[in-house]
Amino acid sequence: MEEFLQRLAEVLEVDEVQGSSVLQDFAEWDSLSALSVIAMVDAGYGVQLGANDLKKLGTAQELYDLVLERRRK
Amino acid sequence: MNFTFHDRRISGLLAVVPAHERTFLEEMKNFDFPVARSMKLKQVMGYDKHRIVEGTVCASDLAVFGLEYLFKSKLLDASEIDALIVVTQSPDYFMPATSSVIQGRLGLKQDMFCLDINQGCAGFLMGLFESFLLLDQLSVGKVALVNVDVMSRKVSARDRNSYPLIGDAASLAIVERAGSGEAIHANLKMDGTRREALMIPAGGFRLPSSQETAVLEDDGTNNFRCKDNLQMDGSAVFNFVQVEVPPMIESLLHSAAATTDDIDYFLFHQPNRFMLEKLAEKMKIPFDKMPSNIVGQYGNSSGVTIPMVIVHNLRERLVGGSLTACLAGFGVGLTWASMLMRLGPFAFCDLIEYP
Repeated sequence: MEEFLQRLAEVLEVDEVQGSSVLQDFAEWDSLSALSVIAMVDAGYGVQLGANDLKKLGTAQELYDLVLERRRK
Repeated sequence: MNFTFHDRRISGLLAVVPAHERTFLEEMKNFDFPVARSMKLKQVMGYDKHRIVEGTVCASDLAVFGLEYLFKSKLLDASEIDALIVVTQSPDYFMPATSSVIQGRLGLKQDMFCLDINQGCAGFLMGLFESFLLLDQLSVGKVALVNVDVMSRKVSARDRNSYPLIGDAASLAIVERAGSGEAIHANLKMDGTRREALMIPAGGFRLPSSQETAVLEDDGTNNFRCKDNLQMDGSAVFNFVQVEVPPMIESLLHSAAATTDDIDYFLFHQPNRFMLEKLAEKMKIPFDKMPSNIVGQYGNSSGVTIPMVIVHNLRERLVGGSLTACLAGFGVGLTWASMLMRLGPFAFCDLIEYP
């Protein structure tokens, strides 16, 4: 989880992301950040997320849970 | 599915781009996004300049201009063309076919096989497949393969998702028998269940264009487009490419008993720099073997991008010599295809501007 949050922070170009951080609340959250997250999750975890998946998600923790769930499949 | 072809080559390649150039910086103000974020997009995707037609320039205009150039420059004799294949998603008309329009405008002979193929980003490979097959007939000596699109006319200028990357262009590849040489290996897959990832919803018979289909709507991410416009599900297309393309190339190399070291260049469709770099990283291919500079120079012109990446980057090498190339196209349909072949020496390998 820690590594995931670190990667997420790198992609979003912020100092820190916490599990409780709400993705849409990041000042620079837009379709480009969404695509960057999708690419990070694909390259790092072999999991494919759609823009619609991200729209439904609230926090970084929920994103992480979804990645783990998809990876198990 | 896998294909093998023998005794086939591309003998010359010409690209035609509109002289009219626009820049991302000029067009940024049309997008409903903070300037800093658009600048970030420019950097990540490699957007800079792109070529788009002015006014009502059509597919056949670019193609006729290019073929006339070849005739005038004595690089091609009109009477030698036995088949004219036009791959486009932006035909002049629903009917007749754009290949018939081009044949007629140029006064080409009647002893000719004219065919339109509706394909996009895998269209250069689809066109090569058809060209190779036509050359099974002794009556066909040379095929003129035209890839052309003027998709800028169907993209909303307020759609940051698609407008900055779109480019208009045509290419003409002359395809003929090789006389000798190595086998050409290729593969192709198609998945029509994902057909809505890239589409123009209105304007056909299913949903004719009307006042309603011309209304610009916010897609929820500050991008405005209407049903007459090109619609692209960016994340679906990204995932499609990252999931399907690496195993396709692996399988192609396996069929050809080749490794990535045997390939001089990976000449792929050019959606944007970001997607190509992610692909190269995943496939462990050095960036300098997979050029990704076409979107930032000319824009993404669907099926024309593979010819564009060749003429822009490899002209000197291909006029004088040859190289082993892995070509790949992926997009609308969805369709994904790849081909391993020897390219060159070409009789011509040029890029000209449509005024």
